Amino acid sequence: MASISLRSLTKRWGGFVAVDDQSLEIHDREFLVLLGPSGCGKTTTMRMIAGLEEPTAGEVWIGGRLVNDELPKDRDVAMVFQNYGLYPHMTVRGNIAYPLKVRGVRSTAEIDERVRAAAAKVQLEELLDRRPRALSGGQRQRVALARAIVRTPQVFLMDEPLSNLDAKLRVSMRAELKHLSHELRITTVYVTHDQIEAMTLADRVAVMNHGRIQQLGTPEEIYDDPKTLFVAGFIGSPAMNLVEGELDHGRFLAAGTVIAEVGGGTRSGVVLGARPEDLAISEPGTGSFDAEVYASELTGESVLVTVEISGRRIAAKADRQTRRAIGETVGIRVDPARTYLFDTASGDRLAR
Amino acid sequence: MTDVPAPEGAGATSASGRRGGLRDRHLKYLLVLPAVGVVVATAIWPLVDSLVLSFRFWKLSKSHVPGPFVGLENYLWALTEEPAFWNAVWVTGIYTVLTVGLTTLLALGVALLLAPGGRLRLTVRTLLILPFAMSPALVGVSFRFMFNPEFGLFDAFFGILLPPLADIGWLSDPVLAFAVCVMADVWGWVPFMTLVLIGGLAAVPSDSVEAAQVDGASSWRVFRDITLPQLFPVVMVVVILKSIFSLKTFDQIYMLTNGGPGTATQTLAHYAYFNGFKYYDMGFAASVAWLMVIPMIALTFAYTRFVFRDRPA
Repeated sequence: MASISLRSLTKRWGGFVAVDDQSLEIHDREFLVLLGPSGCGKTTTMRMIAGLEEPTAGEVWIGGRLVNDELPKDRDVAMVFQNYGLYPHMTVRGNIAYPLKVRGVRSTAEIDERVRAAAAKVQLEELLDRRPRALSGGQRQRVALARAIVRTPQVFLMDEPLSNLDAKLRVSMRAELKHLSHELRITTVYVTHDQIEAMTLADRVAVMNHGRIQQLGTPEEIYDDPKTLFVAGFIGSPAMNLVEGELDHGRFLAAGTVIAEVGGGTRSGVVLGARPEDLAISEPGTGSFDAEVYASELTGESVLVTVEISGRRIAAKADRQTRRAIGETVGIRVDPARTYLFDTASGDRLAR
Repeated sequence: MTDVPAPEGAGATSASGRRGGLRDRHLKYLLVLPAVGVVVATAIWPLVDSLVLSFRFWKLSKSHVPGPFVGLENYLWALTEEPAFWNAVWVTGIYTVLTVGLTTLLALGVALLLAPGGRLRLTVRTLLILPFAMSPALVGVSFRFMFNPEFGLFDAFFGILLPPLADIGWLSDPVLAFAVCVMADVWGWVPFMTLVLIGGLAAVPSDSVEAAQVDGASSWRVFRDITLPQLFPVVMVVVILKSIFSLKTFDQIYMLTNGGPGTATQTLAHYAYFNGFKYYDMGFAASVAWLMVIPMIALTFAYTRFVFRDRPA
C-alpha cells in the first residue's frame, strides 16, 4: 500500500503532447479515477505509473520511491488491462498463479491456496482449469482481476476494465469492483471514459482533457461544482444545458430568454449552464421562458423533455407522470441558484 | 399429371436453367483444362515417369530408350551396395539439422530485434531481406568467389586480421567446405524466416506481454513464458518449411563445391543428379530421388497439419 506522486509528468510523441506537465498526488488507499474522453492522456498517465511508457519529463513516485528508472516488474503494481491481457496458452489457474511464480513463490501448496482464495473473491473457482478462450468476456475480466489481487501489490492500475463488457454486465461488475476495493483497501488508479463508473467508484475523480487534469475532486464536487466548461459539459447524463449569452446587471440574456438573479454583474461572452434535473416544466407564461416541445422521452424513472428555443435545444428532466406533446408550448422554470456561469473564451467558471 | 398447370414461364426457365447449368459445368472444366494440362505435362507426368523409371534399368550412355524392369533392384542397390548413397544421406542429415537449427535460432533473434517495439528500424528490415532476393545458385557462386584462396574476399579479410588463416583452403578442406555450405545457406535463409517470425510476433497480443511485465516477469521470462509459447506454431512452420528446403538442397551446393572436396558436401539431391547426368544411370538416379521423397512427404504432411489444422476459436 502506497501513495503515488506524479510530478510535472509529460509524455510527448514527436509533436503530439499526450500528457502535459501534469502533477497529481494520490493518497494511500485512495481510489482515484482518471476520467476523460479518448485521447485525453488518461491511459498514458496510467501506463507511465506502471512503467510501460517512459515519461518524456517529470517524475513518478510510488510509496515514497522515485521509480522513473525502474522496470514494471520492480514497481510492485498490478494492472488490469482493457483487453484483459490474459495469457491465452495458460489455464485460468496458470494465469492467476503467474505473478506468484515469477515473483519467486516456490511452494506449490501456497500458490494453490492463494490462487484459490483470489478466484473465490471473484467467483471463478469452477473455471480454474479452463483456457481463456473458453470463457465469456465477464469471466475473462474476472480472471484479470483475480490475477491482480492474487498478491498484495502496492498499487492497482485498472485501464478501462469494464469497457469491453455489455451494459448489463458492466453494472454488476461495477458493484463487484466497488465491493472488492472496499474490502482490499489498496491504492487504486482507475482509467475510464464512463462518468457513471467514475462517480460510483471513485474517492476522487481527476477529469482530464488535452493531457491535463481539468479538475480534481470528490464525485460530488465534480458534479455540483464544475470548475470549467469542459467538466460541466462532460459530467452528467443527460449533459448539462449550456447556453451562450451575456450578463446585464446579474440578469442572463440570450435570444428569447431572460433569466433573472443569476449574478455575475455585467459582461458579454458568457455561457450559462443548468443541469436538466434543475429545470422544471411549468405552464406557459409561468416559467423563466416559454418554448416548444421538441421531444418527450420516457426513460422509465423520469421523462426527458427537450424544448427548442431560437434554434437551441434544452433538456429538462421531469417526473415520470409528465406527458407533453411535441409542438406544445411549455414554460421552463430555471432555479437561478442552480445555474453555473462560465467565460466563453477561457471556459473558466465565473464568480457570481 | 396435376390439376394445377405449372406457370409456363417457370417450367421454361428451369429447363433452360438446367441446360445452362449443364453447359456451365462443361465450360468450367474446359476453362480449367489448359492449366491442368500444364501441370500434368510439367509436374505430374515427369513425377510418374520418374517413379516408373526407378524400377527400370537404364544407362543413358548405352541406350536412348529405357531398359528392362528390374523391380526393386535400384533401390536395393542404393540401400545396400552404395556407401556413397549413405554418405549423401549422412551429409544431407547433418546439413539439414545444422541449417534448420541455425536458421531458426538466428531468425528468431533477428525477428525479436526487428519486431514492433524491437530495436532496429524499418530501413534495416528492408536491407536484411535482400539476401532472399538472390537465387541460391548465385549465392553459391558468390560464396565460392569470396572463399577463393587466390582473390577471395574472406581470404583477404582473414589475412589482414589473422595472417595464419590466410592460407587456409576453405573449400578444399572437407569440414570447412561443409561449414561454408551451411553458412551460405543460413545467410540466404535467415532473412525470409525472420520476416515470417516477425509476422508471428506481431500476432502475439502486446497486452499479454505487458501484463507479464507488470506481473513481475523479467525480459527472459516474458520471452520464455509468454512470447515463445504463443509464437510456437509459427516457429514450427519455419522449422518444417526449412527442413523441406534443406533436404532438397541442390543448386547452391552445385555452384559452391559441386559436392566436394570428394563427397564431403554431396547431398542426396546432388548425388541423384550426379548419378543421372554424369554417370547416365537414370534408373538408379530416379530411385535415389524417390528415396528422398519419403522424408519430404512426412514433413509436408506435418506442415499441412500445422498450417491448416482447425484452431478452436
